[in-house]
Amino acid sequence: MTGLVGRGVARVDGRAKVTGAARYAADHEIPGMLHGHLVLSTVARGEITELDTSAALALPGVVAVLTHRDLPPLRVPSFPYLKGFVPMQDTRVHHSGQPVAHVVAETPEQAREAANLVRVRYRAERPTAHLAHALDEAFLPPLFRDEPNEFVRGDAGAALEAAAVRVEQDYSSPMMHHNPIEPHSSTAVWDGNSLTLYESAQGIVFTRRVVSIAFDLPEANIRIISPYLGGGFGAKGPTWSHTLLNAAVAREVGRPVRVTLTRAQMYTMNGHRAEYRRNLRLGATREGRLTAIVDTSTAQLTRTDHGVYNTSESTLRLYDCPNVHVRQLGVRLDLPSSSYMRSPETTAHFGLETALDELAHELGVDPVELRIRNHASADPHSGEPYSSKHLLDCYRIAARAFGWARRDPRPGSMRDGNVRVGWGMATETHTFSAIQSNVELTVDVDGRATLRAATQEIGTGTYTVITQVAADELGMPLEHVTTLLGDTAYPDAALSAASATVASVIGPVSQAAQDARKAVIALAVADPRSPLHGVPAEDVVAERGYLFARGDRGRRDSYRGALARHGRPVIVTGSRLNSSGHSYGAVFVEVRFDPRLATLRVSRVVTAYDPGRVLNHRTAHGQVIGGVTWGIGFALMEHTMVDPHTARVVNPNLSTYLVPVSADTPSVESFFVDRPDKGSTALGARGFGETPGTGVPAAIGNAIFHATGRRLRDVPFTRDKLL
Amino acid sequence: MTDEPAPESSAHTRRTVLKSTAAAAAGTVVASHHTSVASAETAHTGGARTRVTLSVNGERHRIAIEPRVTLLDALRDRLGLTGTKKGCDRGECGACTVLADGERIKSCLTLAVMRQGAEITTVEGLTRGDDLHPVQEAFIRHDAFQCGACTPGQIMSAVACIDEGHAGSEAEIREWMSGNLCRCAAYQNIVAAVADAAEEGRR
Ligand code: FES
Ligand code: FES
Repeated sequence: MTGLVGRGVARVDGRAKVTGAARYAADHEIPGMLHGHLVLSTVARGEITELDTSAALALPGVVAVLTHRDLPPLRVPSFPYLKGFVPMQDTRVHHSGQPVAHVVAETPEQAREAANLVRVRYRAERPTAHLAHALDEAFLPPLFRDEPNEFVRGDAGAALEAAAVRVEQDYSSPMMHHNPIEPHSSTAVWDGNSLTLYESAQGIVFTRRVVSIAFDLPEANIRIISPYLGGGFGAKGPTWSHTLLNAAVAREVGRPVRVTLTRAQMYTMNGHRAEYRRNLRLGATREGRLTAIVDTSTAQLTRTDHGVYNTSESTLRLYDCPNVHVRQLGVRLDLPSSSYMRSPETTAHFGLETALDELAHELGVDPVELRIRNHASADPHSGEPYSSKHLLDCYRIAARAFGWARRDPRPGSMRDGNVRVGWGMATETHTFSAIQSNVELTVDVDGRATLRAATQEIGTGTYTVITQVAADELGMPLEHVTTLLGDTAYPDAALSAASATVASVIGPVSQAAQDARKAVIALAVADPRSPLHGVPAEDVVAERGYLFARGDRGRRDSYRGALARHGRPVIVTGSRLNSSGHSYGAVFVEVRFDPRLATLRVSRVVTAYDPGRVLNHRTAHGQVIGGVTWGIGFALMEHTMVDPHTARVVNPNLSTYLVPVSADTPSVESFFVDRPDKGSTALGARGFGETPGTGVPAAIGNAIFHATGRRLRDVPFTRDKLL
Repeated sequence: MTDEPAPESSAHTRRTVLKSTAAAAAGTVVASHHTSVASAETAHTGGARTRVTLSVNGERHRIAIEPRVTLLDALRDRLGLTGTKKGCDRGECGACTVLADGERIKSCLTLAVMRQGAEITTVEGLTRGDDLHPVQEAFIRHDAFQCGACTPGQIMSAVACIDEGHAGSEAEIREWMSGNLCRCAAYQNIVAAVADAAEEGRR
């Protein structure tokens, strides 16, 4: 142990990323590669009646134009393939922007022009595109991934009836898109019956499984390569149809083919956060103790799948309320499948944390105090004790740093000249998963270590944190450890989603590094040529690449020396399991509202978190500023608009789908409790990435209420709603 | 998207759909119709190539490309300089930012043929041997990136932003760096890195 864990060391992949050397999916040079371009449907529901590819085929450079008439049958894979159907297998159109043809040409320009020349005729049927138009068709969807969509604890109906104070309101949020800066790209290279994919994938092991099912190929024949991922935020977690279609096309044309989605195509090809309506009913005592919560949500579903991705987890588990009834309903619409998008639980949490603010106002109780009164010291649903939970510290730390005690609770009471100032807060929380992961660690004959795992670097700092932990346990300088990720040739490991990476991978890494250190020390003490010969193994310490006898530091060997004499590498594996859980925090925001122009700015954000042990303060802080900014986007701007008549996305670009830019965001102050969770085998660290930001939309809305006296319950809080 | 899917009679071609709607998609195709180098016929069918000389990072490259090829695609697909990223291909994200004669431009919004006289600098051209450019150093020091997809564009933009004298305060940097989206939202660290590099330049 050399004190590397926890330190905010600079990212080990920093140089690659600032010099342009890092290779993302569309950056790999593949000899003989062709360029693909998808043709997407222009109707949302109906049948293809005619497909004329002749003009496209006549263009110079065009190699093939493939349609449902040409592709071999592909099996519909199960989770994490979400669509429920594979396009280009028949004439049916299930949503606007569904692939109907795949053009392949020598250059990207030729492929794109040819795609424009494919003529498609449809028999179109009238689609249903808006939740509001079909709410009476809402139903309780069946189990999804073995999870029900209804949860009951106690008797919420009766408790609500008997409650001294009630809050009942509707909350809503629109469809939103992930928009990672790197578009999805897939390059398929066949060699006989073996397939290599250069892929932008958040879970290469899962992508391999999906491809294996679709093509009925053994997993051993498939290799997925994804050393760098230009963001994903959930969009690249599931495997989407372009990957399957492009691989099928590459096989047909007998050459490697790359397809990269255009920004516009990314609005129908790779999932989105579903639109939601939510009715929330809270019952409480006059002292503000929650006695009942009834949470009924309705989500967009499709006619081909019924995944509910934004669960009401915080309603069920965050507060100590004896009577809870959660129902997650859905409505089938003629839209593309939705999916997970960063911090999916935000959707429900926005409603809950806004409703609590309404309750606090109603009761005249401070919003922080209300949350403290309802704090859960054991999981309210299972009754299980927490292995560690420091949420109360988070409220205290962030409130103090923010200056919450100076808040005048009366709406509209705080002003700065003409500007109204509002302060609001919310709890932050999200689930994290733990996924069985394996790593392999090699200490080579030069005494340097290489760690291999088929997980990914999505931007959260996976390369860095793994390298830190391995170097620390080995007793090597950071530069002596190389981490290799993003290749299914390495041992199966977690996907970069569900805040799972640290929780899943760090245990195996530390286990492998400890075992490797012990193995090398055992070699040294058993070797008569080593200065450490005969020293009891437990008295040998490793630091900075050297091995010392604890009491006599003059007796010194090194990884390099021990391995050179050994003459062959030491290879160990790690696979320690962990369990899922939750991380917690608190967010306090200040908004400034100018009533003359109805302009709103988020001017200050202070946060505090309990993610267990912090492995790298820099990368953890990075997740905070990212998550908080996503919360600002969710609250104030993000909104995918669908035309009600055609069921088409009308703003499939970054100039009309607004995401926060630098000038929209304030600097965020963050604090960490930083106490190891003894229940986590990842050195006491929990999954954390999706916790920051979950409370931000509600905190902003609560601050707007404080500034203006106006309660907004429908995000985004755009200017028209503030006028 | 303006064309209505009229039931039973939707005879729109993909071409009309794109022409009437997506400015970006049309960007590369339509532009070729206005390029004098190619005849109307060759521009329409593609395929006709022209010799283009590009000066990138101090090196001259002669390539044969269609006139409709954007500077971004010429850099990435023809010269193998994949450090410059394509995020949107329509001037909205800034991932493709490069310098042309020291000025920041979005390389997806310009054709390679139009930039033959310019000295182009990409992220690959900032380092001097093993030494990183001060802006690259500052980005690492301040953890001004996460996934890295926007980073080359942010760095090129930052180099120009400092050069332009638009890095005097946090507010000014935020304003003048707002043409470069970072979906990971490393903004506050980017601002700190730009301020630091600008400060270093003034010393
Ligand atoms: S790729 Fe040029 S601005 Fe987005
Ligand atoms: S670092 Fe990921 S988009 Fe900026």
